[in-house]
Amino acid sequence: MSSRPVRRARRALDAPLALLVAPLVALVLTGCTALGPGGVVEQGAAAVDTTPLSELDVLDDPREWTGETVARTAETPVAPVADDPQPRLPVTVTDAQGTEVTVTDTSRILALDLYGTLSRTVFELGLGDRVVGRDTSSTFPEIADLPLVTANGHELTGEAILELAPTVILTDTTLGPWDVLMQMRDAGIPVVVLDPHRSVETSGDLVRSVAEALGVPEDGAELAERTQAEVDDVVAQVAELAPREKADRLRVAFLYVRGQAGVYYLFGEGSGADSLVESVGAVDVASEIGWQGMRPVNDEGIVAAQPDVLLMMSKGLESAGGVDGLLERLPALAQTPAGENRRIVAMDDSQILAFGPETAAVLDALARALYAPESVASGAER
Amino acid sequence: MTATAPRATRAALPDADPSPLPPTVPARVAWLFGGLTAALLGLAVVAAGSGHLHVPPAEVLGGLARGLGLELGPEPSHPNGYAALWTIRFPRVLMAMLVGAALAAAGALMQGVFGNPLAEPGVVGVSSGAAVAASATIVLGVSVAGPWTTAGAAFLGGLVATFAVYALARSGGRTEVVTLVLTGVAINAVCGAVLALFTFLGDTQEREQIVFWQLGSLNGTRWAYVAIVAPLVVVGLVAAGAMARRLDLLALGERSARHLGVDVERLRVVAVVVVALLTAAAVAFCGIISFVGLVVPHLVRMAVGPGHRVLVPASALGGAVLLLAADLVARTAVPYADLPIGMLTALVGGPFFLWLVRRTRRQAGGWA
Repeated sequence: MSSRPVRRARRALDAPLALLVAPLVALVLTGCTALGPGGVVEQGAAAVDTTPLSELDVLDDPREWTGETVARTAETPVAPVADDPQPRLPVTVTDAQGTEVTVTDTSRILALDLYGTLSRTVFELGLGDRVVGRDTSSTFPEIADLPLVTANGHELTGEAILELAPTVILTDTTLGPWDVLMQMRDAGIPVVVLDPHRSVETSGDLVRSVAEALGVPEDGAELAERTQAEVDDVVAQVAELAPREKADRLRVAFLYVRGQAGVYYLFGEGSGADSLVESVGAVDVASEIGWQGMRPVNDEGIVAAQPDVLLMMSKGLESAGGVDGLLERLPALAQTPAGENRRIVAMDDSQILAFGPETAAVLDALARALYAPESVASGAER
Repeated sequence: MTATAPRATRAALPDADPSPLPPTVPARVAWLFGGLTAALLGLAVVAAGSGHLHVPPAEVLGGLARGLGLELGPEPSHPNGYAALWTIRFPRVLMAMLVGAALAAAGALMQGVFGNPLAEPGVVGVSSGAAVAASATIVLGVSVAGPWTTAGAAFLGGLVATFAVYALARSGGRTEVVTLVLTGVAINAVCGAVLALFTFLGDTQEREQIVFWQLGSLNGTRWAYVAIVAPLVVVGLVAAGAMARRLDLLALGERSARHLGVDVERLRVVAVVVVALLTAAAVAFCGIISFVGLVVPHLVRMAVGPGHRVLVPASALGGAVLLLAADLVARTAVPYADLPIGMLTALVGGPFFLWLVRRTRRQAGGWA
């Protein structure tokens, strides 16, 4: 895959011994050749490298790497902040749209959004056993058996929701049609709308809003704190990995591609991608040129931005025919360092911009893919 | 009196039909109306009884009776059965009927007033005109008239588009088919471009709503929307019915109609306004659903002849049946999913349109 010089420590492999000697070896070994792809046998989600960030073999210059990488988070089981939370109800909240909603019963919860963040939050709050359905993006094992209420990708189905007889619906505006949610309000089900604008900085607020609407504000505060602490920890560790000088930092563009019909969106300020990129110590080229929100980008825009790395959603990349298909369809990419080096970091569509309780894990996985691609390189093989 | 096919308005060409169409047969008309009404009621019950959440037919009737304040029949056994019926299905069934009736009647009216069998709100661009204006209110965040804003904008857009078609496609007092269709192509192209621009400008949610306009769907119909659409459709249908006799006279040709005391220009203008009203009512909350206004009036004409006094109400009834059936398929064909209904009607209507073109070509040597 790569034969670039790396400042490396042999990674902790299967043998526990390796784990012990790893830090030592890190000091000794420099510039050794790359591990062959067969060097580590990795299968499925279990394959995710869990070496602490600080012990990773980091590239001398993160630009000196060719090839695509798939960033994966380790599958972490739900770790509720409370075992048996006791919601204090009824609770009246003013939701993100300014609507006053009174929640009187949280025995049957539906939490739906584009990334599955809200459902994960409800589970982390310890209210998972009350969740009665899920959206397509919620796929963690604890929820995977529940019935779907989104059809056709991300379209809500009114009757499927009513069939589950939820007593409260938490959602944001990323799933539609909006009228279906209005129908649910017509049917007497309280619908709490949360802020659809996500970022690393606001993930705590989101957790708090969810908890408040479900009558467990204390647990919410605890979870928000935990989330924030985890994020802060990762951000601090990443800061050690990332180049100190701003000029040396990776220039990253978040490119959203869907299908082969020329849908190329560049995600900029306020899309969440900006805060994600900055949190992993890279420079968001879209915000640099003042790109607002999520908008289609043309060839010249991509060339002018000169990204070193493209951040993409895995299924999006797949739908464009993988890296080869993408480069073929977007020849302008070849004029950028990212295209020249095939330096594309893909991550699961439902994770990369989720910004929920798993934010820290996402940042961690991205940092590995950016600064120590060696540790996740086998992902590119699939 | 004997009404002739709208095609015959082009007096310059000889009528290719071997004989004028026979006068409307009362028995056939009675059968048609009886059949359509029965089909409509039957379908309504089936539609109200089918869906993702299972409610047995007896409980559907029980739920209906309870909603109307009667203690009859069994109560829906699912805790949300009643809510599913009253907040999702009944408004949707009613909306399908209203929109189908509006589109088919608008089609019949347009064909009569343009003297042209291909006139149809979707084909000539009235629907897309309405959709553009409606999306404009979404993207630009206009809400001057509350929930009526979108419907009002759709009406204005439809009106502008209809008048544009009318003004551009007519020359020398008649509407040539080719000119009409080409005008429709142009208007649809312009509207498509503006919709694309709005798609570009809008955020994710607005984008989704615009895509929804373009495909057409009855998913998410609420009583509030039915309450806006219903009066518009009723007014439009009454007005269309009131014009039927004069449209029959117009079918004799403009001059003959004038001699028989019809104020032709006024009739046309009023008809255009009514077409815009009906189309806007249909488009305002359900997006562009094409070909209903084309297929239904033609089928009705085949059954009972072209007299407008029968054609307009029968088309309205037939349109209601067709769209109710189409919507039933749209929401039950694929479990969980809601197919875009505009896609379904176009899938059926497109080939029908082609067949119509070819048939007319054979009979009348084309419209060129």
